[in-house]
Amino acid sequence: MKKNLRLRSMIAIAMLSSISFVLMLFNFPLPPFPAFLQVDFSEVPAIIAAITMGPVAGILVELLKNVLDWLFSGSPTGVPVGHMANFATGVLFILPVWWVYHRLSNAKGMTTGLILGTISMAVGMSLLNYVLFLPLYVKFMNFPVMSGEELYQMIVLGILPFNLLKGIILAAIILLLFRSMHRWIEKQRAVYLG
Amino acid sequence: MMEKMVFGRYIPGDSFVHRLDPRSKLIFVFIFIAAVFLANSTVSYALLLAFTLMSIFASKVRIGFLIGGLKPVMFLIAFTFLLHIFFTKEGDLLFELGFLKIYEEGLRQGIYISVRFLVLVLMTSLLTLTTSPISITDGLEVLLNPLKKVKFPVHELALMMSISLRFIPTLMDETDKILKAQLARGSDISSGTMKERIQAVVPLLVPLFVSAFKRAEDLAVAMEVRGYRGGEGRTRYRQLKWDWRDTTALLILLAVIVALWFLRG
Repeated sequence: MKKNLRLRSMIAIAMLSSISFVLMLFNFPLPPFPAFLQVDFSEVPAIIAAITMGPVAGILVELLKNVLDWLFSGSPTGVPVGHMANFATGVLFILPVWWVYHRLSNAKGMTTGLILGTISMAVGMSLLNYVLFLPLYVKFMNFPVMSGEELYQMIVLGILPFNLLKGIILAAIILLLFRSMHRWIEKQRAVYLG
Repeated sequence: MMEKMVFGRYIPGDSFVHRLDPRSKLIFVFIFIAAVFLANSTVSYALLLAFTLMSIFASKVRIGFLIGGLKPVMFLIAFTFLLHIFFTKEGDLLFELGFLKIYEEGLRQGIYISVRFLVLVLMTSLLTLTTSPISITDGLEVLLNPLKKVKFPVHELALMMSISLRFIPTLMDETDKILKAQLARGSDISSGTMKERIQAVVPLLVPLFVSAFKRAEDLAVAMEVRGYRGGEGRTRYRQLKWDWRDTTALLILLAVIVALWFLRG
């Protein structure tokens, strides 16, 4: 039984990536924010992967989901900037959750992890957008260059509150899910990490 | 929506482009994306556009299909075009109407960027339209093989990709079934307030996760029973074959790049 654990977790990661990809198709914008900022529930399977099989599994789910989405729907800029940003967002969100839950495996640990994950996602993505993703968009799409002031405004008024809100929505779902799946999650954890 | 997504965007066919090896198509598209940024004059952009149209012709993909896939991008293209028209104020004044002033440079930049966009989107769409996701995965695995030297798990990643791809249709069916079952109980995830949506998505996710882990167990046993031992010495059902077409396609691309280099302004 123990022997095929590596293969088993690889397959479980693949399955969770497919779920994540399907969930990504049900994305929707949040009304006050610009349309390229979209919410979807695809981070949830990555969280499940991270807490049951470790952080690498979670990162792999994020990676595979984005590769799948790129294969299926392509990227408007040719260069998948949006997919890279989505990958970074996901990883920033799941790592703190794994880190806390790994040390405190109950509802309290999960809540703390999700709060930290939301903060790390919102702050991390604001920084990454400032130094990397928005400048990349400007470069590839030849938008007129945004001044430092405009970039700053966009991030403080758009990216930061958007990611906070997205984190809160995801946290609500994961906590609801956690309530009904806690025992099952612990069982999988014992199998894959134990 | 479910039915439409099952096979992705791949349209089976028997054209020159369809028959190319996925490896050469991937190399082609990656080099092409880089080459697009070489163009900076009217002639060079015209060449890019002509070359792209020629490739579409060679793939025998119906134009309607490509246009259909372009709809979401069209908005983006129109937006950047207008941005340039209104905000780039260089060169001669071409047109004036009240506060609206269109300059030569603005129009030029707007057209250049729209063409760049169009060409990038058309070429990457052509890759996914003429190559099935599974052959793209096969192609990527072989192309990334050199990374094995630095202990990068190329084979494992490719295996996970193939399994994911194989199970997307199954999962979509399953999602569809659960959605309908939930709909029959009066819960709907595609409408309602944020709170209702969140509450509706949980009963959808629980059975999906549980069955994913169950499947992983079964599939792992099934694979080991059939002698799966990882990537070392594995033989393949789908063989990749590089032939004259692939060499020709890459040579044509090389010629286009040389031409672009000389046509730069």
